[in-house]
Amino acid sequence: MAHSGPMTDWRKAKLPVIAFLAPATVIYTLFMIYPLLDSIRLSFYATPSGGDTAFVGLDNYRTILADPDWSATFWNSFWNNMKFFAVHMLIQNPIGIALAGILSLPQLRFRNTYRTMMIMPTMLSVVIVGFIWQLILSPVWGVGADLLDIVGLKSLFGPWLGKEGSALITLSFISVWQWVGIPLMLIYAALLAIPDDLVDAAIVDGATHFEVFIHIKLPLVLPTVAMVSILTFVGNFNAFDLIYAVKGALAGPNFSTDIMGTLFYRTFFGYQLQLGNPHLGATVASLMFLIILAGVLFYLFAIQRRLARYQL
Amino acid sequence: MADLKLDQIRKSYGAVDVLHGIDLDVKDGEFVVFVGPSGCGKSTLLRIIAGLEDITGGDLMIDGELVNTKSPRDRGIAMVFQSYALYPHMTVYKNMAFGLKLDKQDKAAIDARVREAARILQLDQLLDRRPSELSGGQRQRVAIGRAIVRQPKVFLFDEPLSNLDAALRVQTRIEIAKLHQDLKSTIIYVTHDQVEAMTLADKIVVMNGGNVEQVGSPMQLYHHPETRFVAGFIGSPAMNFTSVTIDGVEQGKVTVSVPGGVKSVLPFDVPASEIGSQVELGIRPEHLSLGDQGELTVNGEVDVVEKLGDSTYLYLKLANGDRVTVRAPGHSRVKIGETVTASAPAGAAHLFNGQGKAFTKVDCPAEFSAED
Amino acid sequence: MNFANIRREDASRAVIVHAILLTYTLVALYPIFLVVINAFKTRKGIFKDPMGLPNADTFSLEGFTKVLAKSNFELFFYNSFTVTIVTIVIVLLLAAMAAWALSEYKFPGNTVLALYLAIGIMVPIRLGSVSILNLVVDMGLVNTLTALVLVYVAQGLPLAIFILTEFMHQIPKDLKEAARCDGVGEFKIFFAIILPLIRPAVATVAVFTMIPIWNDLWFPLILAPGDGKQTITLGVQQFIGQYVTDWNAVLASLSLAIIPILILYLIFSRQLIRGLTSGAVK
Repeated sequence: MAHSGPMTDWRKAKLPVIAFLAPATVIYTLFMIYPLLDSIRLSFYATPSGGDTAFVGLDNYRTILADPDWSATFWNSFWNNMKFFAVHMLIQNPIGIALAGILSLPQLRFRNTYRTMMIMPTMLSVVIVGFIWQLILSPVWGVGADLLDIVGLKSLFGPWLGKEGSALITLSFISVWQWVGIPLMLIYAALLAIPDDLVDAAIVDGATHFEVFIHIKLPLVLPTVAMVSILTFVGNFNAFDLIYAVKGALAGPNFSTDIMGTLFYRTFFGYQLQLGNPHLGATVASLMFLIILAGVLFYLFAIQRRLARYQL
Repeated sequence: MADLKLDQIRKSYGAVDVLHGIDLDVKDGEFVVFVGPSGCGKSTLLRIIAGLEDITGGDLMIDGELVNTKSPRDRGIAMVFQSYALYPHMTVYKNMAFGLKLDKQDKAAIDARVREAARILQLDQLLDRRPSELSGGQRQRVAIGRAIVRQPKVFLFDEPLSNLDAALRVQTRIEIAKLHQDLKSTIIYVTHDQVEAMTLADKIVVMNGGNVEQVGSPMQLYHHPETRFVAGFIGSPAMNFTSVTIDGVEQGKVTVSVPGGVKSVLPFDVPASEIGSQVELGIRPEHLSLGDQGELTVNGEVDVVEKLGDSTYLYLKLANGDRVTVRAPGHSRVKIGETVTASAPAGAAHLFNGQGKAFTKVDCPAEFSAED
Repeated sequence: MNFANIRREDASRAVIVHAILLTYTLVALYPIFLVVINAFKTRKGIFKDPMGLPNADTFSLEGFTKVLAKSNFELFFYNSFTVTIVTIVIVLLLAAMAAWALSEYKFPGNTVLALYLAIGIMVPIRLGSVSILNLVVDMGLVNTLTALVLVYVAQGLPLAIFILTEFMHQIPKDLKEAARCDGVGEFKIFFAIILPLIRPAVATVAVFTMIPIWNDLWFPLILAPGDGKQTITLGVQQFIGQYVTDWNAVLASLSLAIIPILILYLIFSRQLIRGLTSGAVK
């Protein structure tokens, strides 16, 4: 971190420093850190029916990961979540990077208008986005088929959201449609930080705008691309609203759209005949925490360290 | 190597005109410097030549070929930027090889050219470093090297020395001059520093407000400025100006009253219609000396004294409030508050009309003339 | 403009570039547009000509009338509005105070505390939901907006502190030194000098805090699902669940949820990008 000069010794101002830090630290600790840790603690306890809560070691984890009732569900949601993430990485981020690259071309007219419009879906609630697309893709309304007809692909239309084979992919695309704005915004901002002179120098060196992007701009914003990737990972493994809004807690058809977030909700609150179980819920949350932690650590130690940030 | 021709080059950004029709001929192998205050359009003109800006009107020819609509890579130019604009993620070697690689040249040829440029610029030891590991002067040399390897017809320099400290600036200036002698290439060089312009240029183009004020050799601009602007811009410290009234006109002679009531006769062709009008008299500090031996005298109170060792600058306040700088010898003992007389030969004077245009000097003595 | 001087390759490139951008803009906006225009149509209009603009034949506000009659949208808006505004104000104030202390004062554990406060940027607060619900139950705050505000403040603080700390490093040292020399107290330096200075970063922090809160479904669902404490997102979700076959009502309720956020976005989008590009977030 860069400092604008030597810092003031706090001993001259103990009371103010404590007063400045205390409120934020207390609320944050009480409602963020404590619940996270307490959830992990709860995952080691269980309340048998009619009995008292007791420490059960890793029993809950064994249940989720190995019990035939649970493990299939868990691994199904895990792999679904991986597919969900893969679609974002392969579609959302490349589109976002490409659009940011185009928007950062010199002398582009209406740059700000395009950018504002393209980011608009990102500002909407995931629930609203889910419903919008549910309506558009609904065979009852038929707008989706009409739209495909414009580009001559009407025959491809089907009840994608309702089919086991296509529901997850369709939902992933809906999510991509909404969240393209994030890589777009962050990478666009990083591209703007590249001095114009560098681009001019490459143009004089004979590069086309595409070559400038590939050889100069992209290497310089790789740290931002990596950051966007980890944000995508965390966001995807924490997703819930879209599936819940479109498919409900059961993440149908036949759990084909079940991801970690919906599994967590069902385990915690129960659904239909199954009762909610806070301890198993906490166990699922702790497993999600481990997955996210693994991703973040991988980013911090394997990726971020290798990517040099260049002084521009 | 190539010549360059600018014919009525105009540039506008929307309704704002930044260049108002620039004409210029650059000969093969010539070192041309564009100089002027910031915002005069010199950098825009350079970027137009480079192909980084579109031309609004007029024609640009490089090597006899119209290049208005050609992209930079097809113009045979190379450019050195003020910020150096080195690619931060590439080594020195790759920085220099980048353009050649895009050009799909074969590896051995690229290697030979990069190593040759590195040798000329003494960058041999630094080829594997990244720009962040280089000093300012080294970065500057890499930027020049990147231009050299492309063997361009025309080199373009955009204020290349302004990010260097004073000592390095002088040294690099000499290196650039030497480089020009060795490569004999056509160079167009933009700067706001008139000392750089004077020391480097074969031909200086003084620009002001989107127009060319004057084109000429350094000595022509120094001795025969065509406008008051050029007179004030070229030379350091700047030329002194004061308003004078034209009292009488004869063939090749004009009588003016200098502030303080002194009348002087100066060798200029001035039309009779100017009698009684106010004009600007210009005289360089280095042409003034203490005493009244010259034809043109001024009196004033010294209010600032700057000692530089080899010379001393005296700042005089004239009766009309104008200030005049006098370059006195280094051993001068003049003190603040003294009233002194300084004078110059009539041939050293410059006279500008109300529009800032110079009146023609007649019978110019050799020491105040650019002709050899 | 002299068109003769425009390079042909540039002209054709511009056409391609704008074609790509326009296509994507259409992809991004058309679904939203479609929902909003159909909200102003009769049921017949919605199904017969879904892509046409509402006209004299098809124009109708029946959807909106139904939504407003059968549901309590004004209340949901009020709830969302209250939660969002109160949270933003608290987050900004507390985050600015903490960021100031972290960037200005040297004390043991400064770096550790900064890292501790940054954990929440990467670790989603949802993972602690089981305990948060227990906590809220223990505090007797179930089905209150207060519970939502507390959780959202905790959720918003890490990123806000991070952005503001970066920003405060850019405040010139001279300003605060001058104030200290004049004997101004530390509290006053913060409230009178520093707080007004961070205004440019406020818009960025506010947007980043506001959007996830306004749009959140999870915590309203868990902490305040009923008793008229629903936020707009939850309200729409419950309403649509109930009236799923009433297309007029569904489209109108979606439009009601979309339009305010779009207006707010159009007003603040410039600040958002400016904040991003000024190097506050890297």
